[in-house]
Amino acid sequence: MATRTKDIRADTEELVTEAKAPSRQPLTVPTDKPVAYPLDLPEGEARLRTPAVGQRASRPDGRLHGLGQTQYIDDITFPHMLHAKILRSEYPHARILSIDTSEAEKMPGVLATLTGDEIPENSFGPTFQDQPVLAYPIVRHRGDGVVAVAAVTEQQATDALEKIKVEYEPLPHVFDPMEALEDDSPKVHGETNIYTSKTIKKGDVEKALKESDHVFHRQFRTQMVEHVPLEPHASIASWDGNGRVTLWTSLGRITLGREDLARTLAMPQSKIRLIGTVVGGNFGGKNEITNEPILALLSKKAGRPVKSVFTRGDEFISSTIRHPFTMDYTTGVDNSGKILARKIRLVLDGGAYCSWTGTTIGKGSILAPGPYNIDNILVEAYAVYTNKTTTGAMRGFGAPQVCFAYESQMDDIADALGIDPLEIRLRNGFSENSLSPTSQTLQSVALKESLTQAAERFGWKEWQE
Amino acid sequence: MKKRGRGMACMWYPIGFTVAANPSAATVKVNTDGSATLLTGTVETGQGALTVLGQIAAETLGLATDDVHVVSGDTDVTPMDTGAIASRTTYVTGNAIVRAAEKAREILFEAAAPLLKVKPDQLEARDKRIQVLGFPSSSIPIGQAVQHSESVLGNPAIGSASYNPPTVEMDPETGQGKPFNTYVYATQIADVEVDDETGEVEILKIVAVHDCGTPINPMLVEGQIQGGISMGVGFALQEEILFEEGRQINPNLTNYIMPTSLDMPELEVGLVDNYDPTGPFGAKGAGEPTAVPTAAAIMNAIHDAVGVRITALPATAERVLGAIIEKQEAERVASH
Repeated sequence: MATRTKDIRADTEELVTEAKAPSRQPLTVPTDKPVAYPLDLPEGEARLRTPAVGQRASRPDGRLHGLGQTQYIDDITFPHMLHAKILRSEYPHARILSIDTSEAEKMPGVLATLTGDEIPENSFGPTFQDQPVLAYPIVRHRGDGVVAVAAVTEQQATDALEKIKVEYEPLPHVFDPMEALEDDSPKVHGETNIYTSKTIKKGDVEKALKESDHVFHRQFRTQMVEHVPLEPHASIASWDGNGRVTLWTSLGRITLGREDLARTLAMPQSKIRLIGTVVGGNFGGKNEITNEPILALLSKKAGRPVKSVFTRGDEFISSTIRHPFTMDYTTGVDNSGKILARKIRLVLDGGAYCSWTGTTIGKGSILAPGPYNIDNILVEAYAVYTNKTTTGAMRGFGAPQVCFAYESQMDDIADALGIDPLEIRLRNGFSENSLSPTSQTLQSVALKESLTQAAERFGWKEWQE
Repeated sequence: MKKRGRGMACMWYPIGFTVAANPSAATVKVNTDGSATLLTGTVETGQGALTVLGQIAAETLGLATDDVHVVSGDTDVTPMDTGAIASRTTYVTGNAIVRAAEKAREILFEAAAPLLKVKPDQLEARDKRIQVLGFPSSSIPIGQAVQHSESVLGNPAIGSASYNPPTVEMDPETGQGKPFNTYVYATQIADVEVDDETGEVEILKIVAVHDCGTPINPMLVEGQIQGGISMGVGFALQEEILFEEGRQINPNLTNYIMPTSLDMPELEVGLVDNYDPTGPFGAKGAGEPTAVPTAAAIMNAIHDAVGVRITALPATAERVLGAIIEKQEAERVASH
């Protein structure tokens, strides 16, 4: 150990000398984790200047990343800490008939197991609480966790999962969102798969479509994508002798995370502390609790701190992903390319649970007509459950999907009418005090400025000629 | 043969939650040496939010960015925050910080006013000093004002405040209402090359011009835009979770293909000059919208290059080639 510290110190010194850092006074502490030298900010650095706003100030966390001093969850460890792993469903839709963890509990290093029926309030979700922390008695997609195990090493926890016996009764499933809309499709929850819908209605879209010189129709579809943060979902739970639990977590919303934890654990918020560590990428995927209640309960059972860091596979299969949209766009224009009416139908593949679908369908519907002055609008949007990975918040809440559709169709219209794509956007685009599809008066609108500046920088006009 | 094409896409995007309250609270403390501490309940998710929030506190107090230490993300220590979501941090948490820092600054103005022989409302915080409006020569260091307020008047310079963007409920039948307090706008233009024999798309360049109101830290906004475009490129051309009987068949980075630095085109990033009076120092936000128009611009560029309209993402080589062959077939039939 001592040699290792020495080697790293020598390396660091060399790096610092090469970088000609202003301060080279070495600092060391008696652990095997070397502390790099404090680096003085170079003179003239934007962080040191006033006024602060508008400065290209460097990030203090960036310096720590560069020096390897940032502590992500994976870097944090406690004495006697255990590692948790989760057994996931073998079926896309099934009823759990029995769970036998006795063999797993006899495995070396295993100190606790947990099933859904042991969770005080086994449900969560930002819109409605339709998602179990660990599924019980119904699994609704293959990413649903069923049993969690805490063991001394990650390998022991992984090995123990293989010894768990779960008996399932498979239930009919539905994967295709259009099929899920049908009355006779298998139901994921309750009596209908349509779990939320949204309408935006302005003017008389049917009349305006009839009066249009040209009507364009097309269906667009988008796929499921994952956020793929460099740091997967990760947390550590640890209790003190007063029955207070602390969680170090990669969650992006700790205040509301604490509310959700208090609810699932049936504990007062004052007895729960959440520490949000530096998050290694969120992009919408870390906006709700995932494994935190599981770790808290495993830790309570085992009487030791418990850590879990998702594998990349866990991250894909069990965390939320982006909603695929099926989008029908019908747009009526006059001969000059002015949009008279836009009729849109959106179907969102919601996966097995609601998660952030409420926000996605809301933003998706409002934004769907595009940043254009249109008097006659009808947007009808539906989100449906399917027995697939849960779709939730992901950078843009439906906006990248609808933008693909409305902007593709703008070019279809421009092409058919022989109008330059820049021109048709300038002709229809929002300006200051334009009315949005919800009839909101828009302010600080810079759409046309962005169009003209981008066109200038790109050399759009020169190229068109 | 490789064919060149250009396409543009513009977009609009709101800041904050749809109608629902999404408040942030903040606490700002000024120390006796003129440095300050900001407490915020949000977390750093890699986007540089804490740097921007520190800059907003510093600006309100007339300090430099480095003078403000930002403490974040601990429910035992930091105040309520809706969190790093919905492109709301700069705007909503930023507005809360301005209000909190103004309260702390008010305490300093009260303390400094008699020393400078003016009324508190005749003072400003600038260049690390409390000065008479427009008269930098008549001023005292901020630290001295804190010291005086704390040690003589017994009034520590601390302020807490919150902000929630005002919205109006949407009508359940028609959706009419004011779901957000403000929106941002952007345009991206893509220059691509499409191989019409293989369907492969290479992006040569993307120009992105975004509105975020006042850029509190232009370097970090540019970083957001560059990162957003890389996500947009993956969404446009490569990424897709594939299923077989409800089981993901590519839940790994070997078979789920994401853009790497080698897939990234030349990027040119610009910001429009804009100021939103409802935001902190005119700022709005920049997180999510950067990833919104990229795929649409690339699809329009593909159409410009080879004349096919891609209607389902991602535009993999197979899908683009399929569309090209379909178009060639249709043209052959039409010419007979």
